[in-house]
Amino acid sequence: MGKLLQLASHPVELKAALKLKFCRTPLFSIYDQSTSPYLLRCFELLNLTSRSFAAVIRELHPELRNVITLFYLILRALDTIEDDMSIEHDLKIDLLRHFHEKLLLNKWSFNGNAPDMKDRAVLTDFESILIEFHKLKPEYQDVIKEITDKMGNGMADYILDENYNLNGLQTVHDYDVYCHYVAGLVGDGLTRLIIIAKFANKSLYSNEQLFESMGLFLQKTNIIRDYNEDLADGRSFWPKEIWSQYVPQLKDFMKPEKEQLGLECINHLVLNALDHVIDVLTYLASVHEQSTFQFCAIPQVMAIATLALVFNNRDVLHGNVKIRKGTTCYLILNSRTLRGCVDIFDYYLRDIKSKLAVQDPNYLKLNIQISKIEQFMEEMYQDKLPPNVKPNETPIYLKVQERSKYDDELVPTQQEEEYKFNMVLSIIVSVLLGFYYIYTLHTA
Amino acid sequence: MSNIDSVLIIGGSGFLGLHLIQQFYDINPKPDIHIFDVRDLPEKLSKQFTFNVDDVKFHKGDLTSPNDMEDAIKESKANVVVHCASPMHGQNPNIYDIVNVKGTRNVIDMCKKCDVNVLVYTSSAGVIFNGQDVHNADETWPIPEVPMDAYNETKAIAEEMVLKANDPESGFYTVALRPAGIFGPGDRQLVPGLRQVAKLGQSKFQIGDNNNLFDWTYAGNVADAHVLAAHKLLDPKARSEVSGETFFITNDTPTYFWALARTVWKADGHVAKHVIVLKRPVAICAGYLSEWVSKLLGKEPGLTPFRVKIVCAYRYHNISKAKKLLGYTPRVGIEEGINKTLAWMDEDL
Repeated sequence: MGKLLQLASHPVELKAALKLKFCRTPLFSIYDQSTSPYLLRCFELLNLTSRSFAAVIRELHPELRNVITLFYLILRALDTIEDDMSIEHDLKIDLLRHFHEKLLLNKWSFNGNAPDMKDRAVLTDFESILIEFHKLKPEYQDVIKEITDKMGNGMADYILDENYNLNGLQTVHDYDVYCHYVAGLVGDGLTRLIIIAKFANKSLYSNEQLFESMGLFLQKTNIIRDYNEDLADGRSFWPKEIWSQYVPQLKDFMKPEKEQLGLECINHLVLNALDHVIDVLTYLASVHEQSTFQFCAIPQVMAIATLALVFNNRDVLHGNVKIRKGTTCYLILNSRTLRGCVDIFDYYLRDIKSKLAVQDPNYLKLNIQISKIEQFMEEMYQDKLPPNVKPNETPIYLKVQERSKYDDELVPTQQEEEYKFNMVLSIIVSVLLGFYYIYTLHTA
Repeated sequence: MSNIDSVLIIGGSGFLGLHLIQQFYDINPKPDIHIFDVRDLPEKLSKQFTFNVDDVKFHKGDLTSPNDMEDAIKESKANVVVHCASPMHGQNPNIYDIVNVKGTRNVIDMCKKCDVNVLVYTSSAGVIFNGQDVHNADETWPIPEVPMDAYNETKAIAEEMVLKANDPESGFYTVALRPAGIFGPGDRQLVPGLRQVAKLGQSKFQIGDNNNLFDWTYAGNVADAHVLAAHKLLDPKARSEVSGETFFITNDTPTYFWALARTVWKADGHVAKHVIVLKRPVAICAGYLSEWVSKLLGKEPGLTPFRVKIVCAYRYHNISKAKKLLGYTPRVGIEEGINKTLAWMDEDL
């Protein structure tokens, strides 16, 4: 009921939710090809582990859908081993370091997770994953194996790193390296998969910073948002180099008298995360295939919306904050074009700017960073030039021109959805008016 | 590459002039530095400057006088002339014509007569501004047919003269630099103006929605660009790409107008608790009203429609060309620049 009320008080989001539910036809469907029972089980597992992610993966182009489903499930399995505190230390290290070798086996599964471990089904049912994994093109298998190897070993290194376990992440560099292992590597793998599928230009992989930023922007946003939850679980990923500028102990931010400093620290971390936005927009401009574009864009627009929500928000220090369901619907609908994504980023950057107080120690730095992104966005489109001035054909401008052709192909689809929505709406309204008319006739 | 043996800085006693002295002073090997100005050099220098005034030769003279100019150039034996003399904003149009147009004409003629190699002219980013928004403008943007005001009009005329005078065949190379929003120690307009606003208790007002990007440029960086340009024009390999060209010069960090203003106010201890936002159309009406009332009272109006348009306009520039061809990068960031400026103001010179 609360959710409904929330929707009703945000009509734009209500419209988005209705449109998403009733008017939009998915690009691709999992039922459009013959599916083996093992694959169906994989989709089931995907649904179990991540509802929101599953919805996006299900609509991917058939060339990549199974690949990314399996990539996701394998990393999820790795995560489920790492997260489980009941697994004996040496066994855990051994499993993490050699997990990629399990991918060579025809049969393997693991039943050693604690019974209450969420997602343990991924490991008990790992055989279904292996069967489908071996059906993938060898190039895809190689990428997934390599990333699994790197990530598993990274996880093991962190478990063995005493300094990290005792004191958490120290420098901003440590923070970046940690995010690289948990998210940058995923960006690395996905980019290679997308290129093998020929859904983006090869050059996308040549600039490491771009795909690294795709992962880091998401990860850093989650880390900022999860301050309270992580501390409650006895861990934290905020880098000491930043928070120690405000308080001697990270948990001090929960004290009422330190709340203001907590806000300044959040804003400082947001400033750090905004460093990745230009790379993210550049990356998105390079992806051509539509379902892949959406797959890449949705998490990024959700991240900027979340970043705007956590910015200068004291609730982050005391509990969980989450963007509204309706906002998510709006973001999913409107991030299908690059232009839409840029508009979303622009909107939330202004939102951040409007919440920024002059007293904030990073007032000018945040303003300069946001300005820099705005300047970049204007360079992407250059649609505010006086007559007789030609656009500057910079690499990003040309990339955007190329991507805009794919954006244009989406226009009829979006118009059709709008038409359908308006049709249904007017039918409903006329029916209601009809009833009202009959009602007044009767009472008159 | 040939060295700068001797440089004559016309307008060297002014705000930008002192920064130019400093930047030329810091070159190794140090050139002879000569100043031509109608005003003397300031008696006391800000601590922000480290050059020794005794190492600088001063030539007093009138910019529009051919004799004064010729004497100074000959005495200085300058192979590089920098012309940064320009009157402040908001004066009689006549003065602009005399200084910017006639003065610059005289500088060009005398440089040619005395076989100076290089002339670096300080133009202004305002030459392309006609009140419309300027988004990420580069040097391909045209100079508007209807100029914004007499200052920008005369700057544009002077700039064109300088560029036309570029004559590689007879060994005379010119360039025009277009800095935007110069501030720094010695600044008489931007930062002092803002301080004045705060003193009057007006820092709680904001005109416009504060989404317009605006360039501020630290004076030391502008001076840097002049030195780079002079070096390029003396370099036989590099000069062909640079001579006869214009270059925008900024800090390469455009920012929202009010963010910069508030940063200055904050450094001064003025933080408004509540900001009162006047939307642009409302502010323009208020501007007309204030102008009218001031006229009746015979006072200088604080708010004018012109000023409202200035603070509400997007005005920022793309300096890729300067970065590529001059090798320019702003060495002093905005925040550091603001701190240096406020430190200078607190010296109370």
